[in-house]
Amino acid sequence: MTGLGTLVRLALRRNRWFLLAWVLGLAVIAPATATAYETVVGGLAGAGALDVMAANPTMRAMLGPPTDLGTPGGFTVWRVGTFIAAAAGVMAVLGVVRVTRADEEEGRTELIRSGVVGRHAPLTAGVLVALLGCLVLGALVSAGMAAVGEPVTGSLAFGLGVALVSAVFVGVGAVAAQVTSAGRAARGLGLAVLLAAYLLRGIADAGPEGSVRRDLAWASPLQWMALVRPYADERWAVLLLPAGLTALLVGGAFVLESRRDHGSGLWSVRPGRDRAAEGLLSPSGLAWRLQRGTVIGWLVGLSVFALGMGSLSGSFGQMLEDLPQLEAVFRRLGQGAEQLVDAFFVAMLGIVAVLVGIVGVQLWQRLATEEHRGHAELLLAAAVPRTRLALSHLVLAALASTAVLAVFAALLATPEALDRGDAGVILQTVGAALALAPGGLLVLGLAVLLHGLLPRLAWLVWVVVGWSLFMVWVGSVLGLPEWLARLTPWHALPALPVEEMGWAPVLVTTGLALALMAAGVWGYRRRDLRLP
Amino acid sequence: MGVIEIRDLVKRFGSTVALDGLDLEVEEGEIHGFLGPNGAGKSTTLRVLLGLLRADSGTARLLGGDPWSEAATLHRRLAYVPGDVSLWPGLTGGEVIDLLGRLRGGLDERRRADLVERFDLDPRRKGSTYSKGNRQKVALVAALASDVELLLLDEPTSGLDPLMEAEFREVVAADRDRGRTVLLSSHILSEVEHLCDRVSIIRSGVVVESGTLAQLRHLTRTQLDAVLAVPVPADLADAPGVHDTVVDGTRLTCQVDDAALGALLSRLAALGVRSLTSTPPTLEELFLRHYDQRGTAEPRP
Repeated sequence: MTGLGTLVRLALRRNRWFLLAWVLGLAVIAPATATAYETVVGGLAGAGALDVMAANPTMRAMLGPPTDLGTPGGFTVWRVGTFIAAAAGVMAVLGVVRVTRADEEEGRTELIRSGVVGRHAPLTAGVLVALLGCLVLGALVSAGMAAVGEPVTGSLAFGLGVALVSAVFVGVGAVAAQVTSAGRAARGLGLAVLLAAYLLRGIADAGPEGSVRRDLAWASPLQWMALVRPYADERWAVLLLPAGLTALLVGGAFVLESRRDHGSGLWSVRPGRDRAAEGLLSPSGLAWRLQRGTVIGWLVGLSVFALGMGSLSGSFGQMLEDLPQLEAVFRRLGQGAEQLVDAFFVAMLGIVAVLVGIVGVQLWQRLATEEHRGHAELLLAAAVPRTRLALSHLVLAALASTAVLAVFAALLATPEALDRGDAGVILQTVGAALALAPGGLLVLGLAVLLHGLLPRLAWLVWVVVGWSLFMVWVGSVLGLPEWLARLTPWHALPALPVEEMGWAPVLVTTGLALALMAAGVWGYRRRDLRLP
Repeated sequence: MGVIEIRDLVKRFGSTVALDGLDLEVEEGEIHGFLGPNGAGKSTTLRVLLGLLRADSGTARLLGGDPWSEAATLHRRLAYVPGDVSLWPGLTGGEVIDLLGRLRGGLDERRRADLVERFDLDPRRKGSTYSKGNRQKVALVAALASDVELLLLDEPTSGLDPLMEAEFREVVAADRDRGRTVLLSSHILSEVEHLCDRVSIIRSGVVVESGTLAQLRHLTRTQLDAVLAVPVPADLADAPGVHDTVVDGTRLTCQVDDAALGALLSRLAALGVRSLTSTPPTLEELFLRHYDQRGTAEPRP
C-alpha cells in the first residue's frame, strides 16, 4: 500500500467536482421532501389516503415499501429514499470506475504503478474516495433530516442506509473494473447490476401482501435501506447486510486484481475479423458500430421497465377508482386526466422522455470522446468533412433516442391494449411520446451548440438534464413555484392525451432544436479540433 | 509549384506561440525531412496542413489548394500517419485499415496484403490489444496502401523495432521512386539522413535551416585532425575561420569554416603533413548546433 496517501489525494482532486455535484444534488432532496409533507398530505385529505396509495402495487414497484407514512420522515423515506439510494449507486459505480479502470485504459495507471506504489494502491485509493463520497452523502442526509426537525435516530438510520447501500455499489464498480478491460464496459456492467437490483425489488414489492415474492426484495441491495425501517422502529441489524456485502465485494476486487495482468480484464479480448464488413466503411457505419452497445443497453433497460410498469397499469386504475379522494391528486400529477390510466401513462412518459434526453446527449458526446482520444484526427485526416463526421453522431443520437422513446411508449401501452382488446392505445401512447420528443431534441441541440462553440462548457447540458429529471421525478411533490417547474425543455410540450395536441409548442421546440444544432455544427466546422 | 507551400505561418494556443512565422516548401517527388525536437511545432504544422487546426495568420497551400476550406477534397490525395496512433479499442487492425482506406477513396488490395505481411501485422487483433508499434503499423499500412500523391508522416517509426524501421525505409524510398511526395517529420537523424532528399530544421515554431543535406553541410564546419612534421605554430589557432583548436605537440584538431578550409590546408601543406583526416559534419552535429544552448546558433529574440 505504499504511496496510498498520495494516490488518495490524487483521486480526491480528480473526483472533487464530480462527487461534490452528486453528493450535494442528492443530499438536498430528502429534507426538501420532508418539508413538503404537510402540503402533500393536506392535498390528499389525510395520511390514511396516502397509505392506500402507497399500498398500490405500481407505487410499491416504483418507490418501494411504505413503513410509516404518518410522519414526514417516514414519508420521505418512502417517496424519495429508494431514488436517492439508487442514484447514489450510480454515483458510486461511475466514481470508482473513472479513477480505476478508465485510468488504466488510458494508460495513466501504468505511469503511477511504475512509481513506488503498491500493486493494489490505485484500486484502494479509488475505492476509498468513492466510499468517502457515499459516507458524506449519508451524513448530509442524516444532518439535513435532523435539521428540518425529524427524529435523530430515524435520520441516522436513513443516512446510514443510503451510505451503506451506495457503498455496495462501490464494491460492484470495483469488481466490474477488474472483470472488464474497458471503462465503458465496466460502467455498463456496474449499472446493469444496479438496474437488475432495482427491477428485482420492484417486482418483489409489487407482489401481494405476505407472499414469498415480496420476501424476494431482501435479495436486492437497493431495498436494504427501506428494510432498516428508518423512523419506524429501526432494525439496525439490517445495516450489517450492506456493510458485509461491501466488504466482500471490495475484498473480491482485490483478489481479482491479483489474478490479472495490468491493462487486461478477466474477460479476455477475442480476436475479430481481419477485414471490415461493408456496413462499417462510412462515418455513419462507424458511429453505429461504436454506439450500438449503448443504444441496445438503453433499449433493453427501458423495455423491461416499460413492460413492468405497463403490466401494473390495470391495477393502478382500479385502485384509484376505489379511492375518490386520490383522484384529485392524480389528476394533478397527470394534469387533469379523465382516464386515470392515461394520467399514469402521461406521468411515466414525462419521466422517460427526460431519461431519453440523456440517451441523446450521451450518444452525441461520443464525438467529444472521439476528439480527445485522437480518433477524430484519423477520420478527418482521411477524406471525411467535419460536417459529415458531426452529422454521423448527431443523426444517430436524434434517431436512436426518439426510437427508444417510441419503443418504450409502445411497450408501456401493450398490456393495457391487450386488456382492452384495442391496439389504438398503443398508437395513441406512441403519439403522446413523440409529442414529447422535441424536448429531447432541444437538449441535444444545446449539447451540439456547446460542443461546436464552447466545448469547455459541454457539461452545462448535464445541468439542464439533471434539473429536468429532478423536476419530473420529485419536483411535483415539493410545491415549488409553477414558473420554476416550467423551466425545463419538455414543459411547453403537450401532455397527450390529457392535454390537447398543440402544434405550436411542438414545432417551436423542434425549430429551436434544429437552429441550435445548425449553429453548433457551424461552430464545429470553424473551430480547432480538440486533440489528445 | 511545390506540393506544400507555407509562408509566414503563425499559430497560437492561448498565450503559447506554437508556430511563429514558419516557412516550408516541399517539392513534388521528394522525401522532405522535417526535423526538430519535441514541442518545436512539427505536429502543429502537419495539423494545420490537414485542416485540423486553423492558422492565425500566414498562408499555407497544399497540393495547390487551401488546407482549411478544401480539406476533405485534398485528403483524397494524401495519407497521414499521426505520431501517436490511437485506435478504437473494439475494432480490429484489419477493420481500421479498411475503414481509413475507404474514407480516403480506396485501397490497393495487393499492396495492402503485401504490407500486412512485410510489417508482420496480425490484422485480427482488437485495437486495445496492440502495442504502440503495432498501432503505428496499422496506420502505416492504411496510409501506404492508399493510392495517394502525398504522404504526411509524423514520427512514423518512433514505436517500430529496427527490423520494421528498415522495412519502412525501403517501402518509402520505393514510393518516392514511383513519384510520391513524402513529408517525414522525425527526430531520428539517421532515418532522415538515409531517406531524405531535402531537410528543414524547425526550432520554436520557425524553420531555421532548409536545403539538401549537402547544402546544409556547406554552411557549417569540417572537423580536421592533422599530425604535422613540425610542432604546430601558435598563430595557427588565430587564423580566420578556425575554431575550437586543440594543439598537442605536432597534433592539431580543430573545426574549420568551409570558406577557410582551402587557405588552412595550403598552410598545413607548406608545414608538411604526416596524416590528415577530415570529417564532414553529421546531421547530428548540424542539429545540435541549432539546439544546444551553448552552441553558436543565434539566440532567438
